Amino acid sequence: MMDQDQEKVLKYLVLVEKLAEEILCDRREIVLLDKRRNQNREALRNLTKSNQQKCWLTVGSVLIKHNTEVARSLLEKDQKQLDIDINKLRCDLKVKVNNLRDLEMQPPVPGLMLVPMSLKETEGLSKAGIIP
Amino acid sequence: MASIAAAQVQEVRSITRIERIGAHSHIRGLGLDDSLEPRAVSQGMVGQKMARKAAGVILQMIREGKIAGRAVLLAGQPGTGKTAIAMGLAQALGPDTPFTSMAGSEIYSLEMSKTEALTQAIRKSIGIRIKEESEIIEGEVVEVVVERAAGGGGARVGRLTLKTTDMETNYDLGAKMIDSLLKEKVQAGDVITIDKATGKINKLGRSFARARDYDATGQQARFVQCPEGELQKRKEVVHTVTLHEVDVINSRTHGFLALFSGDTGEIKSEIREQINSKVAEWREEGKAEMIPGVLFVDEAHMLDIECFSFLNRALESETAPVVIMATNRGITRIRGTNYRSPHGIPLDLLDRMIIVPTTPYSHQELREILNIRCEEEDCQMSADALTVLTRVATETSLRYAIQLITTASLVARRRKATEVSMEDVKKVYSLFLDEHRSEQFLKEYQDEFMFDDGAGGDNAPQMMEVSQ
Repeated sequence: MMDQDQEKVLKYLVLVEKLAEEILCDRREIVLLDKRRNQNREALRNLTKSNQQKCWLTVGSVLIKHNTEVARSLLEKDQKQLDIDINKLRCDLKVKVNNLRDLEMQPPVPGLMLVPMSLKETEGLSKAGIIP
Repeated sequence: MASIAAAQVQEVRSITRIERIGAHSHIRGLGLDDSLEPRAVSQGMVGQKMARKAAGVILQMIREGKIAGRAVLLAGQPGTGKTAIAMGLAQALGPDTPFTSMAGSEIYSLEMSKTEALTQAIRKSIGIRIKEESEIIEGEVVEVVVERAAGGGGARVGRLTLKTTDMETNYDLGAKMIDSLLKEKVQAGDVITIDKATGKINKLGRSFARARDYDATGQQARFVQCPEGELQKRKEVVHTVTLHEVDVINSRTHGFLALFSGDTGEIKSEIREQINSKVAEWREEGKAEMIPGVLFVDEAHMLDIECFSFLNRALESETAPVVIMATNRGITRIRGTNYRSPHGIPLDLLDRMIIVPTTPYSHQELREILNIRCEEEDCQMSADALTVLTRVATETSLRYAIQLITTASLVARRRKATEVSMEDVKKVYSLFLDEHRSEQFLKEYQDEFMFDDGAGGDNAPQMMEVSQ
């Protein structure tokens, strides 16, 4: 009887900790991805400013000299992928947070799963001062 | 100009509200534990265990959205805590659930019809939850550089460096952004947010790391932590608005100040229908959630037969709030008719209701309540004074005894005592009459009063009934 209870508690704790760890991991991942997104953005900006034909790219620890045009298209492709990845992580994060709260016997965050209103739709409400 | 006005409005709002001590200001919840069992004394609630447990069950049903379209009646003698239970319910529901409290007689107004007043009250008790989302860039300013292009031409070049605890990045700025940064007087060390869609800049405050930059700072200087995590964040804000608020915005004819002046007048039913269909559309798209709230009607016997039949119909609607009524009447005439009915409420409506009775307090409970009220009114009372006061409460009424608390404490303060003694209570008891002694006095000296018909006694209660 005692053993069963202990096992149950342990199982529960493992479940909660695992989910919590996953959430923290995802948060970290988003930060890293955003960091890369900002670096890419800076690079793209500098490429448009410079008028050289070729530029240096770092891939891992290797420096490669490349055509500016090709480098730009590579960066742009990377940006698109980063945007998609970040959005996907954010969406999954919501589900995970709600699952964790469910495990911890807390009510779900109100309105977490709502589809956001467009700017035009909230305009009337914010003009009237109901929402800031 | 507009920004100055807005700043002033914010200042007015920030002034702390003065909390009044009301008759039920000591109530902070229903005083139940996690398994809905009432605690003897908790959150300002004393006794009345059955009614509180029933209210707890109702609370749980409201939270799960299961009770919409039904009504609850709190019935009991005067001074048995009906309003207290409703207030406790409101507190326990939290600020997110709309709770409207009205007295039954509030619907009789010259400015709007009875049904309009009821409809407004009902729509005030239904909330919708909506979400706003925006992509923002949030960070601490490391440096802002604005350069004029050589030769004094119009084009300016700007660069902004922002950081969080995890990263740092540069932004090249266009002319418009430079203008708004200059307008907001953004400088290194400020923590700002930039809305990506609108480009609006919002200064959150100065970073703690820069707190020692200047020796003297203005009063408005607010220090905040350097933001954490990513620079480009997604901010989601969930708002709860009531249907009535949406009605008012859409029906106003003279600017949006109508909402604040309180004088909204009648709202056309077409507008309500339009809003209902819009809200239904939002719900379909997953953009809004309904929150059925609570409408509390105190002194429900003051409603008349028209209101009751209107409520009967309104409760059928799929977006009806939970209606809680309280009454202290027994079997009495339904207002607007000559029929008599329990609680003065027609039988068909009574049939829809969950009836929760409240019973008179015991001696010990009265003592506990008086003790809580003493704390609430900041009044030290000695044990024997409290005993006397409890006796007064059992023999007259709880309300009268509560009135004596403040008066007795004033008497005690006059003789520069820190504690209210038995003598103080006795003194105010002789100074202020309760209802019984007042009546006795009138009976004794009725001949000396003006316009006395010498009736007294038996006929008096009938005269109090409201004439139609």
